[in-house]
Amino acid sequence: MTAEPSTDVYDSDLRRRPLITEFQNFWRYRGLIKLLVVRDLTVRYKRSVLGVWWTVLNPMLTIAVLWVVFSNFFGRSAALDEPYIVYLTAGILIATYFTQGVIAAGSAIVNSRNVLIKIYIPPEIFSLSAGVAAAAHFLLSMVPLLLLQVLTGQGIPWTVVLVPIPLVFMLMLVTGLGLLIASAAVYFRDVLDIARVITQLLNYLIPTFWTIDFIADSPTALALVEANPVYSFLVVFRSWVYGGADAPAWTLAMMAGASVLALMLGVYVFSRNWRRVVVRL
Amino acid sequence: MSGSPPIQAQDIALRYRLDRANVGTIKEATVRTLRRKRTVESINALDGVSFSVDRGEIFGVVGPNGAGKSTLMKVIARVLPPTSGRVIVRGRVAPMIELGSGMNPELTARENIVLYGALLGRDPGHMRERVPAIVEWAGVEEFVDVPTRSFSSGMLARLAFGVATDIKPEVLVVDEVLSVGDKAFREKSQTRMFELINGGSAVVVVSHSVPLLQEVSTRAMWLDRGRIKMLGAASEVLDGYVASG
Repeated sequence: MTAEPSTDVYDSDLRRRPLITEFQNFWRYRGLIKLLVVRDLTVRYKRSVLGVWWTVLNPMLTIAVLWVVFSNFFGRSAALDEPYIVYLTAGILIATYFTQGVIAAGSAIVNSRNVLIKIYIPPEIFSLSAGVAAAAHFLLSMVPLLLLQVLTGQGIPWTVVLVPIPLVFMLMLVTGLGLLIASAAVYFRDVLDIARVITQLLNYLIPTFWTIDFIADSPTALALVEANPVYSFLVVFRSWVYGGADAPAWTLAMMAGASVLALMLGVYVFSRNWRRVVVRL
Repeated sequence: MSGSPPIQAQDIALRYRLDRANVGTIKEATVRTLRRKRTVESINALDGVSFSVDRGEIFGVVGPNGAGKSTLMKVIARVLPPTSGRVIVRGRVAPMIELGSGMNPELTARENIVLYGALLGRDPGHMRERVPAIVEWAGVEEFVDVPTRSFSSGMLARLAFGVATDIKPEVLVVDEVLSVGDKAFREKSQTRMFELINGGSAVVVVSHSVPLLQEVSTRAMWLDRGRIKMLGAASEVLDGYVASG
């Protein structure tokens, strides 16, 4: 039984090179990330009848309630060319992806404590895996959306093939924000609760179930909505997935810019703090 | 580099802060800061520990509870970065710090072998190929597709030990796991450890069981309250430890 030579050398004096080390880790542990995502998708629902479709059903129930309550009100909006149910579903899917992604990525490190205090894995791997799992859930819940598009006669435009672009940018956004929260969550347990409230609030500030013409009279309100990066995702996604109103160039720029910035910031802050964080786990 | 020892620890210290038991939320922290009551105490779990472990050695670590043995294992496994001092570990490390760590009880033995192997840095595809050999060694062939939550602690120990040694680590860290199994398991795992060191790996064994360490280790270290009390040939150190009561 000869030890296979490996090039791994751990020297506690070597510091991480912020951003470089983390992206190398993401690549190096890609096999593990895939495994963790599959585990996330299977284990959670292993003993339930509906299995992974629970994640799809969950937003669908929210959508059903919102539809019953608001379809008579916002559904008649002059700003809507598309069926309200399609507009609503697309909105809720983006909002759910954002909320669940941030919270999952933010709690991943604390939740993986049992592994992290016994086996060395770069902790950021767990946050990224949680983000990827949220992306997978988002993809799964696109099935009922596309179905609704067909049933309502809205149809599926060719631009649907562009949907992976907002999908990947959203992954960057939630992983970045998640990492920012994750370090703080190790110190203070209530950080996650606070983050949950804030992401919820951000979701009400974007037109998921309501329509933008509702606030068109107030430049302040409009500016507040447009300053929210999640709004740019909403506009781009609706435009591409069912052919909603065209996405202006600034929404594309904002989507990309905010995501890259969030990821860089999250990874950088995490990189600078991780030593202090792991001792506290 | 092949000549340098797989584990080198130079004057390592690890300080824990003790305030976390009291301050767990932002709310509490704010209240305490406002009242200027935020006292931070720290303890040295390890203090001035220097040693090295060579290829082909089984290095035993003894000491009473709270001596810093587990902390030391975590420093070697690079889970905890030392507060000061320097540790260098060359090669792949397989830490067995606690029974079932790295395994998910909801997953089957087969899935857990792949997961645990991947956590230890092995490619999942490679681990899938190794499943038959590992379950055979662990004697759990019939239960390969059974969730490990229904495994006995002996079965879990065999499975975990099987995976951790199958990846052929250059450094194996075993913390008290051996004491879980029966005599047959201890003999089997000892054989496996000897195979590993004959192949050029280094093994670190932490145990309360002096007879076990007498049997396997070549050198030993006695830790007490984070400091080295004795370091040297296994028989001398272990005799010294036993004599101290």
